[in-house]
Amino acid sequence: MMSEARGSSVKIPDDVRIVAFLCNWCSYAGADLAGVSRMQYPPNVVGIRVMCTATVSPYHVLKALQMGADGVLIAGCHIGDCHYLKGNYMTYKRYLILREILRFAGINEKRVRLEWISAAEGEKFAEVIRSFTEEVREAGLSPLRKNEVIKSEFGEKLKNAFRSLEVVK
Amino acid sequence: MSIREKARQLFAEGVDGVLAFKRTDGVCIPHLFTKTEVEEICKDVPADQRYPVAGIVRRIFLSGLAGKIGVVARGCDERALIELGKQGQIDFDLLSIIGVACSEEQARYCECSKPYPSRIDVGSRFEGISVSEKVRAVESMEGDERLAYWLAQFASCLKCMGCRNICPVCYCVECSLEDENLVRRGSVPPDWPVFHLLRAVDMASRCIDCGLCEESCPSGIPLRTLYKKATEIVKELFDYEPGADMTQRSPLGTIGDQSELPGGAFEA
Repeated sequence: MMSEARGSSVKIPDDVRIVAFLCNWCSYAGADLAGVSRMQYPPNVVGIRVMCTATVSPYHVLKALQMGADGVLIAGCHIGDCHYLKGNYMTYKRYLILREILRFAGINEKRVRLEWISAAEGEKFAEVIRSFTEEVREAGLSPLRKNEVIKSEFGEKLKNAFRSLEVVK
Repeated sequence: MSIREKARQLFAEGVDGVLAFKRTDGVCIPHLFTKTEVEEICKDVPADQRYPVAGIVRRIFLSGLAGKIGVVARGCDERALIELGKQGQIDFDLLSIIGVACSEEQARYCECSKPYPSRIDVGSRFEGISVSEKVRAVESMEGDERLAYWLAQFASCLKCMGCRNICPVCYCVECSLEDENLVRRGSVPPDWPVFHLLRAVDMASRCIDCGLCEESCPSGIPLRTLYKKATEIVKELFDYEPGADMTQRSPLGTIGDQSELPGGAFEA
């Protein structure tokens, strides 16, 4: 899964990059439906098919952010519709915790979103991608993009943080 | 009552060993005493030295020396033992705990919310500190400043794995921090923030706030503040406190039919 994401050739300079974990049974089929129905949505998303959203560990979301993703979408079956009965319960609980930890670490928690998209909801899929891309654009490029961070406004803040630490230590 | 007297009493009741402290070269170090060694037990608990007592108990069980064991435990040690018991790493019923209450000074230093075990044999009880000033201080920063603060802290990480190795509730055989797909090998500092946030995510619903990670960190990264917050999050969302008692179920440790969502979620 990791190498799949890493090897992706999608390059969108100066625009946000979004990694989407899509569950095999609902959201991936929903994305498929959006595709065959020729619905328009932004091309900033790289989809990764997983068997269930419960297989998406918070580790993977963090890793995606570490590698410079500006947003991470997790999409799965509606509560009660999980192919594995209660897999998405686990996802939901982990998501709630992860979001708060990201907030505390200073990473905009809006960069990570959990959505329930069924196989019949092609239109919802397109809409979610549209609104999420817009939201991530608002949040801006991720401060964890190593190459760009030095030049940005955030780079200054980081330098200040380093300086103040040296005084303390 | 001193620890030695209590240990003597436990031996009389039929425990096989007591994990207490032994004075060696002027320092108190943990030691598993048998009945014949009872006179060598330190009367007091080393005031400012703390050890991963629960981790040692887990290793005793791993080595197959399982018998009835008495353990000198502070509040945090007891919480760790309960948490390990719940997760099937040790048999909590085989343990007899010699409870030690921490001093006020220690409790204030730790910002500990419960610096005493369920039954106190040594020391006097000091009601803990419910609000952590350190967590509030980080929370009061602006979003970007907070990230800069953490990144600057994490950048001093030496990847010594001290925080993981000393952690009493870290027992996985395969550790995510050693997974090459998650954290690249061969670079110091390790990929930040992912390295530290992986651990923070793991500590949510598990961390019993002993603070040994921070004590052992050679770079002085305020890990405890991070994990304290992780514990607070779980407390707020699921009303779950790691190590509080044997009956509470961890929200992330239940699967299948027993899975429940926090109150009010997705109710029509």
